[in-house]
Amino acid sequence: MSLSKSSLSLLLFILSISTIALSDGLNLTASHSADKLKQIPSLNRAAAAVEVNSPVFRPAVEHIFSLNLLSSFPGDLEISDYCRELLNIFGQRYVAYVSCLVPAARPVTVCQKCFSAFGSLRGAYANLSSESGPGNVSCSESLLRGDRLMVVNQLNSSMEELWLNAACDNCVTKGLQRLTDDMLYFMNTLNQTDDCFDKYRQGNHTELCKNCKNTYQGLNELYGRMEKNQTLCIDIEDSMNMTRRLWSKYYNCTVPREETVPVIAVSSFMLFLPIIFYLSSFLHSEQKKRKLIHPKRAKSYTSLMNIQDKLG
Amino acid sequence: MANITKKVSWSSRADESGATGEGTPLLNGSEQPRHSRQDSLRGRPKEIPHNEKLLSLKFESLDYDNIENQLFLEEERRMSYMGFRCLEISRWVVCGLIGFLTGLIACFIDIVVEELAGFKYQVVKENIEKFTEVGGLSISLILWAVLNSAIVMVGAIIVAFFEPIAAGSGIPQIKCYLNGVKIPRVVRLKTLVVKVCGVICSVVGGLAVGKEGPMIHSGAVVAAGVSQGRSTSLKRDFKIFEYFRRDTEKRDFVSAGAAAGVSAAFGAPVGGVLFSLEEGASFWNQMLTWRIFFASMISTFTLNFFLSIYHNKTGDLSSPGLINFGRFESDSVAYNLYEIPLFIAMGAIGGLLGALFNVLNYWLTIFRIRYVHRPCLQVMEAMLVAAVTATVSFTMIYFSNDCQPLGPEHTEEYPLQLFCADGEYNSMATAFFNTPERSVRSLFHNQPDTYNPLTLGLFTLTYFFLACWTYGLAVSAGVFIPSLLIGAAWGRLFGRLLAAITSSGSIWADPGKYALIGAAAQLGGIVRMTLSLTVIMVEATGNVTYGLPIMLVLMTAKIVGDYFVEGLYDIHIKLQSVPFLHWEAPATSHWLTAREVMSSPVTCLNRIEKVGTIVDTLSNTSTNHNGFPVVVQVTGSDEPAKLCGLILRSQLIVLLKHKVFVELARSRLTQRKLQLKDFRDAYPRFPPIQSIHVSQDERECMMDLSEFMNATPYTVPQETSLPRVFKLFRALGLRHLVVVDDENRVVGLVTRKDLARYHLGKHGLEELQLAQT
Repeated sequence: MSLSKSSLSLLLFILSISTIALSDGLNLTASHSADKLKQIPSLNRAAAAVEVNSPVFRPAVEHIFSLNLLSSFPGDLEISDYCRELLNIFGQRYVAYVSCLVPAARPVTVCQKCFSAFGSLRGAYANLSSESGPGNVSCSESLLRGDRLMVVNQLNSSMEELWLNAACDNCVTKGLQRLTDDMLYFMNTLNQTDDCFDKYRQGNHTELCKNCKNTYQGLNELYGRMEKNQTLCIDIEDSMNMTRRLWSKYYNCTVPREETVPVIAVSSFMLFLPIIFYLSSFLHSEQKKRKLIHPKRAKSYTSLMNIQDKLG
Repeated sequence: MANITKKVSWSSRADESGATGEGTPLLNGSEQPRHSRQDSLRGRPKEIPHNEKLLSLKFESLDYDNIENQLFLEEERRMSYMGFRCLEISRWVVCGLIGFLTGLIACFIDIVVEELAGFKYQVVKENIEKFTEVGGLSISLILWAVLNSAIVMVGAIIVAFFEPIAAGSGIPQIKCYLNGVKIPRVVRLKTLVVKVCGVICSVVGGLAVGKEGPMIHSGAVVAAGVSQGRSTSLKRDFKIFEYFRRDTEKRDFVSAGAAAGVSAAFGAPVGGVLFSLEEGASFWNQMLTWRIFFASMISTFTLNFFLSIYHNKTGDLSSPGLINFGRFESDSVAYNLYEIPLFIAMGAIGGLLGALFNVLNYWLTIFRIRYVHRPCLQVMEAMLVAAVTATVSFTMIYFSNDCQPLGPEHTEEYPLQLFCADGEYNSMATAFFNTPERSVRSLFHNQPDTYNPLTLGLFTLTYFFLACWTYGLAVSAGVFIPSLLIGAAWGRLFGRLLAAITSSGSIWADPGKYALIGAAAQLGGIVRMTLSLTVIMVEATGNVTYGLPIMLVLMTAKIVGDYFVEGLYDIHIKLQSVPFLHWEAPATSHWLTAREVMSSPVTCLNRIEKVGTIVDTLSNTSTNHNGFPVVVQVTGSDEPAKLCGLILRSQLIVLLKHKVFVELARSRLTQRKLQLKDFRDAYPRFPPIQSIHVSQDERECMMDLSEFMNATPYTVPQETSLPRVFKLFRALGLRHLVVVDDENRVVGLVTRKDLARYHLGKHGLEELQLAQT
């Protein structure tokens, strides 16, 4: 039922569009055509029906629709060549960026390796979304907000989100030119530690723990400082994590628990104190007594005994 | 011995008013020794160890009943329509002020605790970090213990030596106040100051306590102070709100203050109103409810606003309450129908654990009252508890092997690494090495695998005993947060075990959700509040969908817990020997009549009485009566006189002070007529009779009481049953109820203590004994 109805209205719509296109012969956007439609009352209702129905078109109908639409818009609602070019560039850069990201996923090196690719992607997107192009053509309207899916927009925002989550802005200079000095310094320190680990890897790990302790601690402190300044990005965090895991789990350089006896001694002394306190206050403190007072009652004096008598 | 017996039990300081007219017993009977056989059998006043079956003479009733004497009627006649409108408006103003000041106090406590605790934990943390590597962790342990004891010592000293009534959470005291018992010194400015400083010290000192209970007391004190428009402690009178200087009005404001306190503590305005309703609902009307709600809202708003400034987010009003449970969102915290039985089971566990907590605390409190009653001992005890708390926490952390990776958003404020791998922290430390509020929040919201079951179990066990030991110390501290913490810990454990058992069900068994339910169950099991607690919990979590499970859990916890023992607050009220009137008279008491309940014979005054007689009656220290039926002698007969009114001690004292004698009035015609204002000015601390000088000549003068007495006191016939008398007392907030015979002659007087002494024990109806405390 609804299918046949919508296809009917669709036909009417196509009819109306083509009449206007014929009569005007101008480049019209969809909104313009809608405005014009209002001047033709007989077709107005049909067009409105299409608008209402359009989101729920069945695939079969859509097929006809798209075919018809393409044939009936010879370039006026189509994107311009300039915009198509911009879209192509965006696509290429997107591919480049993603193909940089994927190998950098583990261990995470997305900030250091892909910042330039991301910079060029941003540039491409900025071009796409800029309001003014040559000949006052704006591609953002048609490319970015032309439909509800907004493919370009989605793709770009997902990449922006990734970048934001990685906090890469903390490690790359503004304008995505190069890595920050902090970052480079950290990488340098990290490399030293890794070198040290490599050097003592063979043989006894206690040797490693002793010899690499200073470099490792330096790295740890540097990391702590950077954490406080909030200049961490995912690369630094990940590499630090790996190093720490190496140090603690693989090489087993954690601090051993060796003062058990003094701790137990002190705590048992502390726990012993309350016992003494309570015992002594029980033995030496005078127990607090309450002086009972006998209330004055009427002749039928009620005492507890009386109550119990009555209950019993 | 004598001065020991005079010590008050909520404190252990000699009650200043004990010997004077202020701490007057409610008991009303003649002091002549009776020579009945029973009396001689029972012998001289005997002394027994303190127990819960006593009623203290120290406590008086409040005068809620309006004294409708002629002065009152005159004043009412003089007052214009505008005057009444202004009164109504000033009531709103007072409520707004109460809310504002309570919010400010809450904010102050919060900020100071946060700063000081942050500083303390930073110091200890640095010390531990230093010694983890080089050895000497026992020094860190000692440092922690000493720091804790030192801070707690300050708090305990101000409480034990300066204002013992400020000890504990203050909720039992406020509950008694709203019930109609005048607890000496409970709503004074000094109490407020000590309470606020004390609670800061005890929370910063790392005791297993919270700062929420004391907020309720603080709110009540603020209310009692603001509504009077003056401070007797500071000797300042702002000459405002003079109309509110009587018990009836003050009580209304105190209930608003308590509500504002709850609302500031938990960010639960409705919960606050319901708390007042649940605890003191015998005198209630819609306008008052609305005003109380206003005070609560203002208090939350104020706290919010100032905290937003403190957190550099000025104007952001979305984090209400001292304790913030955080937001329970997302699908993982949704619950399903099949979880309801689980929740109910948790409620039962909460009831059991709560009952255990209460029983242990009961025995401990009895021991404390009997043996640890000297202030210096109390301070020492508090210090010891603080030291042991630190020691136990440290040992737990030291031997814990539960290491967790640091979270990305750093929910852990002071992560301790200790022997964990780098980049990980000791998860026992997040529970122990933190202020209790933060621990609660991390138990609610941390990732499901943050704590391993062993950690949770050990934490529950130790914290249970620590909290139980701590409550009742001479420090001001609440029991809400520790209860929540214990409950959250075992609730989380429950959730984890559940997820482990039903391996496929790990999606719905979110530990955070079970932590919340456990917290509710434990708190309900300990304090046994119902309606208000449900609403408070729902409001604090900000999630209305939890209303049903929380209500079911609290219901179950109360039913199970009540089977064994009363709620913690009721236990403490009993142990303080307060004549507390419950909702209803004991069930099997209909056979008791007013004749058996009342005190008799009664000291009566004549309508025109000799000053000497009045002074003698008032200065009789052995009786210290408070209300005197006024009688008129039937001319030419020996029969007992007929009742024509009731006059209070406080009124008589004011009359004596102003020398309102018949003779003087005749001689000095110009003398100003006594007004109601003169009575209000003396309120609430009427001078003792000893301070009023009456010369020998004046003793011979006469006093006409007819203008000042309440001409229509409530009376009951002798055959009225106890439940009827009880209902009248509870609903009208009476202080004295005259028992008359069929010819309107006074035969006895029922006071609060006459009614409160009956209670239903294990062996039927039992009678409490009166004692000097």
